[in-house]
Amino acid sequence: MKPPILTIIMSTVISGTIMVLISSHWLTIWIGFEMNMLAIIPILMKKFNPRAMEASTKYFLTQATASMLLMLGITINLLLTGQWAVLNMPDPIASNMMTVALAMKLGLSPFHFWVPEVTQGIPLSSGMILLTWQKIAPLSILYQISPSTNPNLLMAMATMSVLMGGWGGLNQTQLRKILAYSSIAHMGWMIAVTTYNPTLMLLNLVIYIMMTLGAFMLFMLNSSTTTLSLSHMWNKFPLITSLILTIMLSLGGLPPLSGFIPKWMIIHELTKNNMIIMATFMAITALLNLYFYMRLTYATTLTLFPSMNIMKMKWQFENTKNTTLLPLLIVISTMLLPLSPMMLTLL
Amino acid sequence: MMTYVVFILSVIFVVSFVGFSSKPSPIYGGLVLIVSGAVGCGIVLSFGGSFLGLMVFLIYLGGMLVVFGYTTAMATEQYPEVWVSNKAVLGAFIVGLLSELLAACYILKGDDVEVEVVLKFNGAGDWVIYDTGDSGFFSEEAMGIAALYSYGTWLVIVTGWSLLIGVLVIMEVTRGN
Repeated sequence: MKPPILTIIMSTVISGTIMVLISSHWLTIWIGFEMNMLAIIPILMKKFNPRAMEASTKYFLTQATASMLLMLGITINLLLTGQWAVLNMPDPIASNMMTVALAMKLGLSPFHFWVPEVTQGIPLSSGMILLTWQKIAPLSILYQISPSTNPNLLMAMATMSVLMGGWGGLNQTQLRKILAYSSIAHMGWMIAVTTYNPTLMLLNLVIYIMMTLGAFMLFMLNSSTTTLSLSHMWNKFPLITSLILTIMLSLGGLPPLSGFIPKWMIIHELTKNNMIIMATFMAITALLNLYFYMRLTYATTLTLFPSMNIMKMKWQFENTKNTTLLPLLIVISTMLLPLSPMMLTLL
Repeated sequence: MMTYVVFILSVIFVVSFVGFSSKPSPIYGGLVLIVSGAVGCGIVLSFGGSFLGLMVFLIYLGGMLVVFGYTTAMATEQYPEVWVSNKAVLGAFIVGLLSELLAACYILKGDDVEVEVVLKFNGAGDWVIYDTGDSGFFSEEAMGIAALYSYGTWLVIVTGWSLLIGVLVIMEVTRGN
């Protein structure tokens, strides 16, 4: 894509999300969502193969449907309250419709089917933008309407999401699909705590974005999209294999890494509100996620995978790839636990 | 007499929506889309929005749908699917029509019975004559259009930018290679 066009399109993606974040009028929020969706389609279609076009079409169809549902919810809210301000919505029909629309945009169960297929069909850099930046706008709207959402609906979607995210990723070897199922599970964790403490949802979002960005950038260094190509990394970038270990364990939520902070806080908040079964259940299903992260680390870092002899003797080149921000992301994804009181007050 | 005109236009509106929702070939879908667009303009016109109705007729139907029709005609197949040629399309069409009919009969049960679906309906009169309040001697539609260019400057800028992005995205997507 020519640089001027890429600049204009990326700036529209960013300004669409920013319009959603700073709006107080429902119409401009909807406009922001549409701008964002329209402008990210060519980014998803960077390579012109049928797989990428199919993925972009699926993304467009689901997101357009979700925008239409959001518009229906906005219209019903306008009809029943007579105003366009983003305040709490007393009517359950409008509130539930908006929650379902935002769940479709986020990829929560039972609307999660598009996430692995779209993430698999697009290049790694597009998948990075899809799984991190695109989550910001719907979660900000959910944060604003969280007092009037239906807790039963949100808890049901959270339960299904952590289950689907855990079970779906178990049999995958493709890295993009693994990260897609990881995204579904993390969205489930975020939604579970929204009715009780929306600040923790933002905390989980920030830490999840840092970890997923770090993971995608590490994979992009080697241009690896399968577990097999990750397993050849011990010879090329031995340092990166150790970093993959830390990032994967952080994504799995193990102390003393940063990924433990949101899980700890969310379980704490759930138990404070007497949702003990939910907290236990979510902690157990996080083990499913941990299993496939561990499998990736096992293949990458902890073992020298069987390969042909020719793969064991590679030319040792110096790294010429641009690794902007990668050290910062890795440090944030692993060493933030002592600063957790400060982060809670920041958000 | 006027309420009957609006009623008939609404019926044709809904039937053509069901017509393209049952997914025939895009040529026929575009045909009923044009019909529904034209009839929708008629409904807007009958509520006093003469400027907006004519704008939609000219720009939407006369510009965008014509271009859509030409591109679909270039990409169509030898035997496009019509509503009666495929049992799935026919079935969807009939199911859609029946559900609309049942919904209308349920909501318009009687002239004195109040039915609440999302809002309260009280017979056919409540539906066809929809009054949102009195604005005095000025046409609400003209006030709205004037407000778009005075208070709504940011909206105009955003809309113009979105249209530009739409064109760039479409050119980028269809470039291929």
